Amino acid sequence: MNPITRLLGLLMLLLGSGLAHAQLTIDITKGIEGSGIPIAIAPFNGGAPEDIAGIITADLQRTGKFAPQPAGSRADYSVTGQAGSGGSRGYVVQFQLSGAQGGQLLNLSFDAPANQLRAVAHRISDLIYEKLTSDKGLAGTRIAYVAGGGGTWYLVVADADGQNPQTILRSGQPIMSPAWAPDGSRLAYVSFEGRHPQIVVQDVVNGTRRTVSAAPGINGAPSWSPDGQRLAFTLSKDGNPEIYTLNLGSQTPVRLTNGGAIDTEPVWLPDGSIVFTSDRGGSPQLYRIGPGGGAAQRLTFEGDYNARPAVSPDGRTIAMTHRRGGRFHIAVLDLQTRQFRVLTAGGLDESPSFAPNGKMIIYSNGQRLAAVSVDGDVKQEFALRGNGRDPVWAPFAR
Amino acid sequence: MNHRLRPLIAAAALALLASCATTDQTTTEEQQTTQDAAAQPGITAQPGQEAYSYGYGQAPGGVDAYDASGNAAGGRPGQAVAGGGNAVPADRIVYFSFDSADVLPESRTIIEANARKLTKNQRTITQLEGHTDERGSREYNIALGERRANAVRQAMIAMGVTPQQIRVVSYGEERPAAAGPDEQTYALNRRVEIVY
Repeated sequence: MNPITRLLGLLMLLLGSGLAHAQLTIDITKGIEGSGIPIAIAPFNGGAPEDIAGIITADLQRTGKFAPQPAGSRADYSVTGQAGSGGSRGYVVQFQLSGAQGGQLLNLSFDAPANQLRAVAHRISDLIYEKLTSDKGLAGTRIAYVAGGGGTWYLVVADADGQNPQTILRSGQPIMSPAWAPDGSRLAYVSFEGRHPQIVVQDVVNGTRRTVSAAPGINGAPSWSPDGQRLAFTLSKDGNPEIYTLNLGSQTPVRLTNGGAIDTEPVWLPDGSIVFTSDRGGSPQLYRIGPGGGAAQRLTFEGDYNARPAVSPDGRTIAMTHRRGGRFHIAVLDLQTRQFRVLTAGGLDESPSFAPNGKMIIYSNGQRLAAVSVDGDVKQEFALRGNGRDPVWAPFAR
Repeated sequence: MNHRLRPLIAAAALALLASCATTDQTTTEEQQTTQDAAAQPGITAQPGQEAYSYGYGQAPGGVDAYDASGNAAGGRPGQAVAGGGNAVPADRIVYFSFDSADVLPESRTIIEANARKLTKNQRTITQLEGHTDERGSREYNIALGERRANAVRQAMIAMGVTPQQIRVVSYGEERPAAAGPDEQTYALNRRVEIVY
């Protein structure tokens, strides 16, 4: 190891945690269009060192389905609670969810140490969301994204509200395209360490890393098969970017596409077929091929550029980076009805990723992370302060 | 603290880049691989466990700490970015039109000069690094950047350079030479750098 790299390593050791833990905060940049469910949330008294009611308010606001109100407001539902010292772990958090007529819908109590009070607040938000919408909530989920650039890159895992960011990889070369394994235990991503791209799978809990592809040329755009046994990705080792799949138990990738065009950004549908970006028709568009390759079916015809597909958890909807009129938007295509919808106002929007309940999409607006609701007419956009890109929403924890 | 020490890191990273760029020995590259990246066993919560470590106290709140990025974050038009292409002299940069990998007529002089260098000394290896502007899909841009680098490679081979002297890598939009969301900046970033 030469002195310069040793110095660099030392600097990173000293500074990495500080740099990497810069906080993302969520702003609502666009209000609810249509009507969220009015829900009155009272402050949780009792002296706990977290604003439990504030966290619940922000969580519910972010779903796009609720319109949180101050205590005492006229609302369909109300949340009351206390959070103070006590119990076996330091703090006791109690909460009640009531209907407009006063009928109690939820009444629960949690014992938690101080450092888990935010997690408890997220859990309460999800219980309320699940009780009133019958869908699973997202407040307790996590996201991964890439930050930094220009010298140091970070792969970060954070809570869905952008809090609690933790760097799982710090590199002096670019990091790209993180993808969660279906069980949420590992991330596949592209790393340029050593100044050439390779696909790495990293255990997010213990940090163990394994390089699964370092072929000559592009090693890019990894995505996991629904059963977590295989990866699809892009290699250009034979001269042109093509789609390959690799059984993680084997060493030999299998090629699915063949031609002079760019084929990249493969993602799996639940039936094992693959949606990917190709410019075989002149402009980048989305195509679908069967699990073993074969003839490709073109899926997108709107605008002049459709790329970077993401599949909804139910496999029914494809989100993508969509260009029309020179602006990049996030758009969705319903594979059954073929309905195509543009979700964001546009600019430099890219890299959509579905939340595990399919109700939200997180993406990058070119500089920062943002999220948009895909459910019905209610649209809401959030910007996360702090530079982030390539966001991917983790599956529900098991 | 972050602000004061960030330049140090950038400098160290640049020095690292430089040291890396001046060698083409395989062993050194392999060492480099292990030195570039540092995995963090950082996630304290096991999936499915109700044990989270929420760290309000450990968060510095330095939300702009990431804005050293070349990703157009707060940069002035045309402003150079550390680690970007500004380290490569102008006679080793080939520029491209929007959405195109066609070698422009005015680029031939630069490519020819470098091709001569390579044909004169056949032990010299060059790495052609393809880049795009920041618009559009990042992975698609990786493919576009490779297409540009391959276009320069083909031109060099046509000028008599042996293929074994040329390596190609695409950074897509990940290493911009300039920051700023405007056409002037985009044009500076659509490039192939000829690196020795």
